[in-house]
Amino acid sequence: MMDERKLQILQDSLLPLLQAGLAYTLPLALLSFVLGLLLAVATALVRISSWYIPQQIARFYVWVIRGTPLLVQLFIIFYGLPAAGVVLDPFIAALIGFTLSVGAYSSEIVRAAILSIPKGQWEAAYSLGMTRSQALRRIVLPQAARVSVPPLSNSFISLIKDTSLAAGITYVEMFRTAQQITAVTYEPLLLYSEAAAVYLLFCSVLSVLQHLLERRFDRYSAA
Amino acid sequence: MIEVRDLHKSFGPLAVLKGINLSLAHGKVLVIIGPSGSGKTTLLRCLNLLEIPDTGSLGIGGQRVEFAAGGGVPAKAVRALRLKTGMVFQSFHLFPHMTALQNVMEGPVTVQKRSRTEAALLGRELLGKVGLAGKEDAYPHQLSGGQQQRVAIARAMATSPEVLLFDEPTSALDPELVGEVLKVIRQLAAEGMTMVIVTHEMKFAADVADQLVLMDGGVILEQGPPEQVFDHSAHPRVRQFLNRLGGEE
Repeated sequence: MMDERKLQILQDSLLPLLQAGLAYTLPLALLSFVLGLLLAVATALVRISSWYIPQQIARFYVWVIRGTPLLVQLFIIFYGLPAAGVVLDPFIAALIGFTLSVGAYSSEIVRAAILSIPKGQWEAAYSLGMTRSQALRRIVLPQAARVSVPPLSNSFISLIKDTSLAAGITYVEMFRTAQQITAVTYEPLLLYSEAAAVYLLFCSVLSVLQHLLERRFDRYSAA
Repeated sequence: MIEVRDLHKSFGPLAVLKGINLSLAHGKVLVIIGPSGSGKTTLLRCLNLLEIPDTGSLGIGGQRVEFAAGGGVPAKAVRALRLKTGMVFQSFHLFPHMTALQNVMEGPVTVQKRSRTEAALLGRELLGKVGLAGKEDAYPHQLSGGQQQRVAIARAMATSPEVLLFDEPTSALDPELVGEVLKVIRQLAAEGMTMVIVTHEMKFAADVADQLVLMDGGVILEQGPPEQVFDHSAHPRVRQFLNRLGGEE
């Protein structure tokens, strides 16, 4: 049974959790997603290019980031780098870690999206006299963007949840806030469930936004 | 206008073009026919360098390119030659994220750096010319195949190329839509547009061609005015091909 004290704790912690979510979790997720996407597009373009050395570097980057746990990467950046003389603020460390992660995973999404555009689209662009970069910018990337909306939205939703890992490197986002409240109230079940509910709320809102974005793009695609 | 000399092209071990010689004067229509696998589409794609020939030379409207085994062609020369040509594809390849008008404006704006106002004016004029006035704001998926192909023709003409290339422009169309596309091409021929057309429509070929080329196995078997090729060719392979077509109809 839910007694009055527990209800009170739930009520009192909701605002701090929401605040931490809006002021720390979301900005970290948004910023690392935007930077990560830029990195992802750059990585994807290098990987479909014919420059051998940059291509190998891009492959190596994706291989390392995808093959190691995100939490371990964050620990290396925050706790490990100081040993090499690089001391980072928790936010910056988290931002770097998440950006690298988004960049690697999303580069595969972007690359697949670019490769999914029919060869005829490139040929039509070339036959008008376009350069490769004009064809990419005007014809292929806009269509690839449409194809990537669902998988990229997935990545973003995953990222929102992954930011809770930043609690492990002392960044006080929503999950760390729940931990701190738990430390004084001794109600882990309550607080962590409440935090989970707020994550669920955020992700649900994002799913709706994804849907709207897809509808906007649907203007030009049949069915 | 077009001058093709001893053009060779292989895909790996497969020789697709084995020494093609062609010339076409300004304002004339060249139609290429032949069985599938004869190299006619490859030849057409070589004319705007979507395929780079192995050896030989190609000149269009004063722009000449020589091909040598192992030597690449500078990107600048490729684009200069492509600007002399406009290409119409079998399956249209319209840009699906752009309206009909935007499709037509794309070449003038992005490649030729003309103003959007000027390009829109030109785009409307060209869409009107192919019978699509009023469809400017339609997206490709809202148009029938025949309409899409006519937008593609307008798009190919928008950069004012000296030659229009057609790669089986009606092969992907439902039979009832073929006529409207052929009508546009006939009209262009009547206006003196220089064109090279690969087609399976024999009656259309006979009507519209100033010069007919029959290809087989990577070589030109016969070329000349259509009546000469159709009616008087002595070449047994030509008779065989034309008979087979006749039998199908």
